[in-house]
Amino acid sequence: MSTDSVAQSLRRARSGLGVGGAGRPPDARPKRVLSPRNVTMLALVLPSILLVLLLNAYPVLYAGVQSVRDGDLIAAGDFVGLANYEAVLTDPVFWQAARFTLVFTLVGVFGSWAMGMGLALLLRHRIPAGGVFKVLLLLPWVVPVVVSATSWNWLVATPQSPLPILADALGFGRVLFLANPLLAQITVCIFKVWISFPFMMMMMGAALASVDQNVYEAARVDGASGTQLLRTMTLPLTAKSTYISWILMTIFCVNDFPTVFLLTGGGPVNATQTLVVQAYRTVFLDFETGPGVAIAFLMTVVLVVISVILYRRVRKVDIE
Amino acid sequence: MSMRASKAALSRRGFLGVAGGTAAAGALAACSGGGSGGGGGGGDTLKFWNMPWGGTEFNPRDKEITEAYAPEGDLPAAVYQEIQWANFTQTFSSAVASNTGPAVSSGGGTQAFLFESQGKIAYADDLLESWKSNGLYDDFLPGLIDAMKVEGGYAAVPYNLDMRVMWYNTTLLDQAGVEPPTDWPSYLEVSEALKGIGVYSFGVGAGSGSFTGSHIMTSFMINNGGGLFNADQEPDCVTDANIEAMEFVLEMVAKGYVDPGSVTYTSDNVQTQWKDRRFGMGWDGAGLAANVGGDVAAELTVNSPLVGPHGDQGALYFPNNIMMYTNTPSQEGSEAFLTYYYQNMAPLWTEHTGIGLPPLRSIAETPEFQSDANAVKIIEEWQPISRTWGAPGSDALFLGVTDVDGTPAMGTFTQTILSGAATAEEALTTLQQALEG
Repeated sequence: MSTDSVAQSLRRARSGLGVGGAGRPPDARPKRVLSPRNVTMLALVLPSILLVLLLNAYPVLYAGVQSVRDGDLIAAGDFVGLANYEAVLTDPVFWQAARFTLVFTLVGVFGSWAMGMGLALLLRHRIPAGGVFKVLLLLPWVVPVVVSATSWNWLVATPQSPLPILADALGFGRVLFLANPLLAQITVCIFKVWISFPFMMMMMGAALASVDQNVYEAARVDGASGTQLLRTMTLPLTAKSTYISWILMTIFCVNDFPTVFLLTGGGPVNATQTLVVQAYRTVFLDFETGPGVAIAFLMTVVLVVISVILYRRVRKVDIE
Repeated sequence: MSMRASKAALSRRGFLGVAGGTAAAGALAACSGGGSGGGGGGGDTLKFWNMPWGGTEFNPRDKEITEAYAPEGDLPAAVYQEIQWANFTQTFSSAVASNTGPAVSSGGGTQAFLFESQGKIAYADDLLESWKSNGLYDDFLPGLIDAMKVEGGYAAVPYNLDMRVMWYNTTLLDQAGVEPPTDWPSYLEVSEALKGIGVYSFGVGAGSGSFTGSHIMTSFMINNGGGLFNADQEPDCVTDANIEAMEFVLEMVAKGYVDPGSVTYTSDNVQTQWKDRRFGMGWDGAGLAANVGGDVAAELTVNSPLVGPHGDQGALYFPNNIMMYTNTPSQEGSEAFLTYYYQNMAPLWTEHTGIGLPPLRSIAETPEFQSDANAVKIIEEWQPISRTWGAPGSDALFLGVTDVDGTPAMGTFTQTILSGAATAEEALTTLQQALEG
């Protein structure tokens, strides 16, 4: 087969046509959408569709109804229009939670990615007991977050905890890691990075493993430095995995309830309260279902927007 | 289409129709949530849901008592179910909403009032009336039954008492060379002495899942003749009595008598501080000594209630209760079971299963209970002066107290005071606005 014919075949393949020909000619007759075959196919998938609707669409629709009513956990309540959304959006506590959610997510995504990427690059090299290190580094991700949160609480909560003692010994005085609002925010963010970096390490490790090493060798022969390799080779070649990991971690961070709730409960004085914690507290502690679900819906809208933006980046990388 | 193909297609459709219909019926049945199986008895039996009120031995013993119930005639037998505290609100709410909940249960202290407002509670008026003839009614400690009364009737029956009292470490007070305080000024003096030996005197926690801090703030208000609700059962936080009480706590904070970490201490953190003898005095439930354990437990003693600056005494307490639901296989059965249960529940206290204080005099007077000096002191000195969330306007509980019982508004208020982040009036005004909102 000549080069031209190969290229032609590939074009045909990309356009969905078989290599061997143009395939079946277009049907001149109008298609019967509800042919017996289609009806059978539809009937076959109908139970699955119903199941998906019951499991996914129904709760979402019901939650949508709850967000425009003034009910509680038992009764649906009366229709109040968009009053719940208005109440939420004019509540300073919501915006405080939104700001911290943004910070928590940015630090969680980029902090864990940077750490995960760095460790993935390190673990590409042969080091003694590399396998053991990989397993140990996965522990923060594998261990249940309840256990992790309890451990971190033990590590920082009281003046007799190890880190406050260390800080005191280093001359920082008595450091209140969870009682000081700013330090509590920093502690929660670091905790999030700590439990999330193994996931990023796995994602980026897999992405790096798929990169052809010959490309690096060729670049080194051409005199590329380590920084140049990272900037012009590694990052672009792993961009698709990076964007996907960012999408996933953004969703993980925004929806992360236990990390914050178990460590600080959203305190002190709402300093570490994220939107998902606020939604939980509104529904299950204040028994105000409408505003709580409204918060959850607003979160979902923001998450969808962010995910779409990042997904477009993934598609762009595909095209490039 | 050929006849063969047509028949085959019909056969498939027929099969799919039957299968789809069966699946849909199953799904709809699953979603309906009602039906006979949903009755609070699950058919011929009566569901009793109880919480882990004590140690590991509590629920097995409680189950034994429940299963020993032999109903008369056609009345339903009782089946026992332990419900964990984790997410208990969701557990009960979803079960009650879907009519798959219990016929009788304990639960959160204000739970009965929430469900009563939804029409899900069977009033205990007839039951309590029947107890007047068998001696049970008069056996309750003073004021307990009245705390259960709402407009429609008695929403529940008092079960165990969760008190908030003042504890001190005898060894640390001896070390500081001071006697236990009797009023607010002497509390400040003792605190100063304890500070001199590096010990905190206002031991509480207001962190994740720890509501004791907010209980103690309210206790101080009640100790000063104040509280959160007026006689109309409406929030009334910004009062002179409350401001004065919170200014006292803020003074304790400013003078360094309160552990700065208290703002985010969990219950475990608080117990650690008692264990490490960092807390010389503090506020907690009746089970503090047992929960702390070890050598320190023997050093922990309940103090007498403090006298406020205007001669008031008072504290917050929670008359935990047992409620009956309208969703029951037999209301007569629910009442018969509860009568049996109250007549036979004494071992839960006499065998020291760790449950809170008893609601009945007959149990409090047993030699086994009297052997615990701290518990006796709480029953004799704290219970008579304690008030519910409804104070100062009311002794009864009502739906409005669910706005302050473990809610974010109270948590934020408590953390604001314990961190000294606002004046008493500012913090109380913010709380008032949150409760009105």
